[in-house]
Amino acid sequence: MKKKKTKLFSAALAVLLAAAVTGCSGGNEPAAGAGSGAASGSGSGAKKDELVVAIPSDPGGTWDPIDTFTVPWATVASNIFDGLVERGEDLKLEPGLAESWTYKDPKTLEFKLRQGVTFQDGEPFNAEAVKFTFDRLLGPDGEKSPQRSNYDSIDKVEVVDDHTVVFKLKAVDPVLITKLAGYGAMIVPPKYYKEVGDEQFNVKPIGTGPFKVTDYVKDDHVTLEAYPEYWGGAPKLKKITYRYIPEATTRIAELQTGAVDIASSIPPSQASTIESDPNLTIQKAGSPTVSLIRFDVSQKPLDNVKVRQAINYAINKQEIIDTILNGFAKPISSLQGDISFGNNPDLKPYPFDVDKAKQLLQEAGVQPGTKLTFSIDGSDAVFKEVAQAVATYLSDVGLTVEIKPQDTQTMYNDLIPKAAAGSMYQFGWGGWTLDFDNTAYLLYKKGQFWNPSYSNPEVDKLLDAERSSVVQDDRKKIFFQLTQLLKDEAVDVPLYQTMTVWGVNKKVAGFVTPPDERLRLKDVSFQ
Amino acid sequence: MMKFLVRRLVHTLIVLFGISLIVFFCIRLTGDPAAAMFQGTGQPTKEALDQIRHALGLDKPLWEQYATFIGNMLSGNMGHSFRNNEPVFSLIAERMGATVSLAAGGVAVALLIAFPVGILSAVKRGGLMDMFGRIFSLAGISFPNFWLAIMFILVFAVHLHWLPASGYNGPKYLILPSLSLGLILAGVLARLIRSSMLDVLHQHYIRTAKAKGVAEWAIIIRHALRNALIPTITFLGLQLGALLGGVVILEQVFSWPGVGRLVLDAINDRDYPVVQGSVMFLSFLLMLVNLLVDISYGFIDPRIKLGRGRT
Repeated sequence: MKKKKTKLFSAALAVLLAAAVTGCSGGNEPAAGAGSGAASGSGSGAKKDELVVAIPSDPGGTWDPIDTFTVPWATVASNIFDGLVERGEDLKLEPGLAESWTYKDPKTLEFKLRQGVTFQDGEPFNAEAVKFTFDRLLGPDGEKSPQRSNYDSIDKVEVVDDHTVVFKLKAVDPVLITKLAGYGAMIVPPKYYKEVGDEQFNVKPIGTGPFKVTDYVKDDHVTLEAYPEYWGGAPKLKKITYRYIPEATTRIAELQTGAVDIASSIPPSQASTIESDPNLTIQKAGSPTVSLIRFDVSQKPLDNVKVRQAINYAINKQEIIDTILNGFAKPISSLQGDISFGNNPDLKPYPFDVDKAKQLLQEAGVQPGTKLTFSIDGSDAVFKEVAQAVATYLSDVGLTVEIKPQDTQTMYNDLIPKAAAGSMYQFGWGGWTLDFDNTAYLLYKKGQFWNPSYSNPEVDKLLDAERSSVVQDDRKKIFFQLTQLLKDEAVDVPLYQTMTVWGVNKKVAGFVTPPDERLRLKDVSFQ
Repeated sequence: MMKFLVRRLVHTLIVLFGISLIVFFCIRLTGDPAAAMFQGTGQPTKEALDQIRHALGLDKPLWEQYATFIGNMLSGNMGHSFRNNEPVFSLIAERMGATVSLAAGGVAVALLIAFPVGILSAVKRGGLMDMFGRIFSLAGISFPNFWLAIMFILVFAVHLHWLPASGYNGPKYLILPSLSLGLILAGVLARLIRSSMLDVLHQHYIRTAKAKGVAEWAIIIRHALRNALIPTITFLGLQLGALLGGVVILEQVFSWPGVGRLVLDAINDRDYPVVQGSVMFLSFLLMLVNLLVDISYGFIDPRIKLGRGRT
C-alpha cells in the first residue's frame, strides 16, 4: 500500500514533466523563418529570401479591414490589401487600384479602375468588387465597425461598367480621397468573402496586394507568401514572417541573435544597443504622431489665456527632445506633424522664455505655489520622464505640478471625455489621414468626444468652412488661419512630433522606413 | 468523501457567483470599449460611438447585460469577443496549451531543484550544503522573475546563442521561460521543504526507525519526506494563483501566446466578454486545483480523512 502511494506521486511528477514537454511541442506551429533566420544569420552563404519582422502586438485577431484601427494591422496588412488610392513611401497620394479619379461635381466622384488585376485566389478585381466593399462597410456588416464613420459621407457606389465606378456623396468630403488610401477602404473579394464567411475571412483574408496570408497563429506570428501575379510586379522576397514580441528588450535581443531581421518600435533609450552592434543599424522617420499637453480650460487658472501662454513659454521643448528622447523627435507648432496637410512651416513654436512666463503669470494674478494636476499615461515610460521635466520647468516659474499616472484606456476614454483628467493631461495623436481636418475637428470643435471643455465660435466657423470645400488651396489658407488662432489662444502645449524608430539587420536591402508604420515590403531583399 | 465533494461544489458555485459580480461590474467602471476600439489612431464621433455601443449591446440596462452574461455562462456559452467576434471559449482554448506548458515547465523545474536542495539542506543541517541551499533560497525569493528572464535572454540567447530568445515553437523554446518561472518558485519551495523536513526529522518515529536499523535513505524518503509533503503540496496549490501572475509577465517577456497575454490585451482593449470569460475560467481552475490538493492529502497521509472531524 505504501509503495503504491509513493509511485502515485512519482507518476504525477512524470505526467507534469511530460505535459511540460508535449504541451509545448503540441502547439508546435512552425514560425517559419524564425529558425532559418538564425541559421543564415550565422553565415550559411546562400542568399536569403525570407524576412522576419518583429512588431509589438497582434492586430487583435482579425485581418478584416473594416474591423480594425490598429497600427500593427497596418504594418502587416498594407502588404495584403490595396485601396483605390495609395500612399507611396513618401506618403504622397498616388493611384492604387484606381488609375484616375475626377470630381464630376463636388458630390459625385468617378474612378477609372486598373485592368488585369486579380485577387490572390485568382478572382478578378472589377467595379463589382469596389461596390461590394463599400456596401459591406456601410451596410449591416459594418455596424460594429470602427471604420464606418470615416466613410459615412458616401451615399452609394454605382457600377458604370466593369472598370468604372461612381461614388455618390451625401455631403462634400474633402478628405475622402485620402481616406480611400486608409484602413477600411481596402478592397475585398466578393466571391471569396461570400464563400468563406466573416469568421474565416478574419483569419485568412485575401486582397490584391503583393503578399498573401498562409499561416496565422494569434499572438504568435503571421506568415505571408509572395503573390507573383501582383499587378505591380512580383515581390523580391518569397516569404515574410511577422512575429509579435511585446517586450522591446526581447525584440532587440532577437534582432541581435539574427532570428529577426527588422524590429519596430525601438524605444529611444535603447537605440544605442542597436547602434553599437556591427550587424545592425537604426532607421528612423518622422511619424504623423504628435505628443502634447492639453489644458482643461474650464478649470482655474487655465481659463486665463495668459496662464496657458506662460506654460507654453516655460517649457523647454528642445531640451526635452535632445535629452530625454535622444533626438528622436521634432519640434512642432500645432497638433500635426510636418508631413500633414495643413501644417504651416512658418508658424514657430513658443520659444523657451522663463522671464516672459513669470511676467505673464504675474499679470494673470497667479500666486506662486499654485497647484496644477497633470494626468499622464502610466504605461508610457518615456513620457513619464517628459512629465517630470515639465514639472521641473513649471516649478521654476512658481507652479506646483502633481503628476498623476493613469491607466491608458481609463484616461483616454473615461477621464478626458468627462473633463476629469485634471488641469493638464498628456495627449498623443496620430493623424492617419495626414490632413489636419479630422485632428482639428475632433479636438477643437465644441462638444466633440475628446474636447470636453474648449469652445470658440471662431474656431468652429473655420472648421466648418474647411470641411465644405474641396479646393485644397482654400482649405490650406483656412488651416493656416486656424493654427495661428489656436497658437495665440494657447489651447495646448504642442511638445514634439515623434519618430518611428526601427532596428534593421544590415543585410536587408531596399527597406524604406515608413513614417506611418505601414510597411511596404515588395521591393525589400537581402544583400 | 461524497459529502465533502458536495459541500465543496456548493462552496465553489457561491464563490464563482461572487466573482462574476465583481468582474462584471468592476470592468464596467473602467472605460468604454467602443472608444477603446479606436485605439489612438482613430477618431470617434459621438454618432459612431453610439452606433458601436448599440451594436455591442452596451446601451441596454446593466442588469439586463448581467442577466444575459450569467444566462450564457450557465448554458456553457462564454460569449463572443467585441474585437473579432470569436467565441471566448475558443480564444481561451487556443492559448491554454501554451500557458499550461509554461506553468508545468516552471513547476517541474521548481520541483526538480527544490526537493534535492531542500532535503539535503535539512539532512546536512548546518553544513556547507545547508548554507548553499539557504543562500539559493534567499536568492530565488529575492530576484524578480522578469529581471531573471531578461538576463537569461541576454546570456543564453544573445551572447551564447544556445537557446532561442522568444517564441513558442518546440521544446527548446520552453527552457528559458521554465527556468525563469521555476527558479523563483524553487527558492521558496526549497526553504519550505527544508523546514518541514527538519520538523519531521525530530519526531520520535524517526528515532524509532533509526533504532530499528532502517537505512538512512529509506528514512529520509519514505518516512520524513512523505510527511513533509503535505505543507509542500498545500503551498503549491495556493501558489497556483501567484504562478499564473508570474506567467503573465513571462508571457510578455518571451512573447508566449498564452492566456495571460490574452487577458492582458483584453483588459487593455476593454473587451468585456473576454475578460469576464477568462477570469471566470481561471478562478474555476484555481478552485479545482485546490480541491485536488485537498483530496490528495488523503493519499499522502492516510490519517487525514476528508469531510470528517470538522464539525
